[in-house]
Amino acid sequence: MEDIFDLAIIGGGPAGYNSAERAAQNGLKAVVFETNRLGGVCLNEGCIPTKTMLHTAKLLDNARDANKYGLIIPEASFDYPAIYNRKNKVIDTLVNGVTMRLKKHQVTVVNQKANITGKSNGNINVEAGGKNYQARNLMIATGAAPFIPPIPGLQRKNILTSKEILDLQEAPESLVVIGGGYIGLEFGSFYRSLGTEVTVIETLDEITPGMDKEIAAHLRKDLIKRGITIHLQTKVVEMQGKKVIAEKNGERLEIEASEVLVSVGRRPNVEGFGLENLGVLVENGAIKTNDKLQTNIPNVFAAGDVNGKSLLAHTAYREGEVVVNQLAGCQDRMRYHAIPGVIYTNPEVASVGITEVQAQKSGMDYEVKKLPMAYSGRFIAENEGKQGHCKIIVNKKYNQIVGIHMIGGVCSEMIYGAAQMIESEFRLQDAEEVIFPHPTVSEVIKETIFAFKD
Amino acid sequence: MAVPVIMPRQGQSVESCIISEWSKQKGDKVEEGDVLCVYETDKASFELESPASGTLLETFFTADDDVPVLTNIAVIGEEGEAIDEFLPENANATEEPEQPAQPAEEKYEDTSAATEQPQKEQPEPAVSQESDTDEFTRISPRAKSYLQKIGLSQNDIKISGSGPQGRILEQDVINHIEQHGKPTPTAAQAAREEKSGMPAEGTGLGGQIRREDLGKTAAPAASTTPAQVLEEGADFTVKKLPNIRKIIAENMHKSLQNSAQLTHHLGADARKLLNLRKQVKAAQAEGTLQSNITLNDMICFAVIKALKKHPEANSHFLGDKIKIFNKVHLGLAVDTERGLMVPALQNADDFNLEGLSNQLKKIANDCKTGKIDPELLASTAASFTVSNLGAFGIEIFTPVINLPQSGILGVNTITHRPADLGDGTIGFVPHLGLSLTYDHRSLDGAPASRFLQAIKQEIENFEHSL
Repeated sequence: MEDIFDLAIIGGGPAGYNSAERAAQNGLKAVVFETNRLGGVCLNEGCIPTKTMLHTAKLLDNARDANKYGLIIPEASFDYPAIYNRKNKVIDTLVNGVTMRLKKHQVTVVNQKANITGKSNGNINVEAGGKNYQARNLMIATGAAPFIPPIPGLQRKNILTSKEILDLQEAPESLVVIGGGYIGLEFGSFYRSLGTEVTVIETLDEITPGMDKEIAAHLRKDLIKRGITIHLQTKVVEMQGKKVIAEKNGERLEIEASEVLVSVGRRPNVEGFGLENLGVLVENGAIKTNDKLQTNIPNVFAAGDVNGKSLLAHTAYREGEVVVNQLAGCQDRMRYHAIPGVIYTNPEVASVGITEVQAQKSGMDYEVKKLPMAYSGRFIAENEGKQGHCKIIVNKKYNQIVGIHMIGGVCSEMIYGAAQMIESEFRLQDAEEVIFPHPTVSEVIKETIFAFKD
Repeated sequence: MAVPVIMPRQGQSVESCIISEWSKQKGDKVEEGDVLCVYETDKASFELESPASGTLLETFFTADDDVPVLTNIAVIGEEGEAIDEFLPENANATEEPEQPAQPAEEKYEDTSAATEQPQKEQPEPAVSQESDTDEFTRISPRAKSYLQKIGLSQNDIKISGSGPQGRILEQDVINHIEQHGKPTPTAAQAAREEKSGMPAEGTGLGGQIRREDLGKTAAPAASTTPAQVLEEGADFTVKKLPNIRKIIAENMHKSLQNSAQLTHHLGADARKLLNLRKQVKAAQAEGTLQSNITLNDMICFAVIKALKKHPEANSHFLGDKIKIFNKVHLGLAVDTERGLMVPALQNADDFNLEGLSNQLKKIANDCKTGKIDPELLASTAASFTVSNLGAFGIEIFTPVINLPQSGILGVNTITHRPADLGDGTIGFVPHLGLSLTYDHRSLDGAPASRFLQAIKQEIENFEHSL
């Protein structure tokens, strides 16, 4: 009789590979099924490649600003194939790292398509490569894929998604980005630095839906300053080849572009691996889970994008860990109220907790303080001619910090501290006791906290 | 003649006790043995019985007062008798005009004043007046003070306490926080201001109680063993261990890890014991005997006698030295709802059989009702222990030593064995199984066997006339 695994994981992305390692650390026997390379979208075609490329773009932007810092760089330019190759090298390094970690922890990795065939004796059966695998628990971590909206004339061959755009062999002359969310903006920001004419089309009245409005407006203005064209409240109605036809306030816009990126959202992957054989409940296109990531079947869990809760790699890591902790006998549950969100454009945006609009809608008696990043000496020293902001929202009832939003500087690196404050329900007086290193940009958080005393 | 009521000393380390509440009021008629008040240490709660019959002439302290041990707290006597000579130095008589009740909030902040003048503190109305009607409001001052430290008040914590009549003690609050999590700063403030109950569990980081958790299904009035369910699967339930279980687990594990224990088994002819037991039942039926002397009482009596003859077994093994006791402090394993407890009967060798029987019943009962002095539960309080599983029909077992004691006697059920009846005829005689676990570091096999034989002889030659 074949071995029974403690945990079978379908999908080797952030939810999958991380939980496999955590499971092994807890003495659980795990198997991961992944048809592509380990690491999922995040490592292979998402977070990591884009951040690698965006770093180059930021270096380039800084090189062009060199004279502001007393440097003389006569002509800052770029070598696209080198950027492309470096991106692939970084991916390879990290994928190899994940592969080695799983090997070290003796996790079984099956590079075959997995199909759930059903249950026997309470165990889940998964078939892959003609072999049956039995597991006491199953984690579905199949992720999500770009959503292609039904637009007349839109053909897959004429557009790019976040996946294909990474394979471009040169910077396009012009790029239309359909969808003003963080994925589209990051690509827009990157190619703009490389000189591409970038146009962003967003149906709503502001870019980065869900972000704090003031921060979003600040980002929009900065991007426009950098030469990106942004059309808000604009709906794409038709595509003719690579020509995008849109409507803005009843007016017709026609934009011809070398490339068109469609980034209007992602949909959970819930089909094609036998979910129906177990009767796992799917609601609104996502697997329904509770705060323990359990599906309607107690020993079947769904972590990461596939449950549609918060389509972010760091959410997936934590969700997977919640599952493993339970299997290891520790009480744990997922909380979604303090998950940081980051946009790695130039400038960077980072936020956690509720936005001012959400505070308004909830009927909360709240108070807002907003300070320029210039309150931090380090920001002034390192961001010549740039602006940033830190905005904090407080529930006045107990002075509880409920939202922290930042734009500018390296805010992506300091948002976790803000997340900790919200996770632990700090009040202003509690946060006042936190010691921030000096001089750092993070001190602007401290200054904003004390601004509530004004 | 008026007599004072003295705050007893509860253990060597206890310097003061807090009066939780008065069960009798000034002017009440009391009988000797009536409960006058409930008082507590940080570990347990006790009832103070009246030392005499008469009228409760005066009470020198109010509920919540922290009273040094051996201080007079009240006077019992005939009405009109003078009480002045009993006045303690630092008491406030109850005639003192009532201070206006302070709002609870202000009082919490002014803790320094409260410590300087504990006797001025007024009892919380919620405790002294509503305590009879609402068990949840019964809370000890120590528990309340602990709650204050973590930013809560008694209203925030809906748990049932382990004190008399469900009174919440400090340890209950500590256990509660450990099991259910500590509130976040915001949750603590909200709980205090909105008077919302603490939830059964926190959903925050490391089980922290978040603001949105407040008011969600408060922990139910717990049974004596509140086992919190951590996880419930289709075919299993994972529960958190109650404290007592954790302590037992740790002690038992330590004992097996840190000693060289082994068990010898021997049987004793139980005819004399059974015969005496029959006489006891008959005498009780006739009403000529008060004490229900059980087989276990007789066995303990025999063990005590054997221990006096073999003091090396009546000892604590202390690594590089051995402490041999002149007196026998007998530990008795008691099965309670909360788990195994082993109280010690100090100076057990001072009692005759009836006295021993009564004393053993009292400590066992104190364990079951939670009134046992915690110091008697320490494994160092006893010099030897008896554990009886005979009632379960157990024929042989290997009891685990309560270190640092050198031995423990397991008492088994009575079986019938063929034996020489004395005239060469073989017949069946009742046979009591004895299992002696001893620490080989302390005792060698031969002396341990001699001691076990001595117990057997005491049992077989048990002579007692009612």
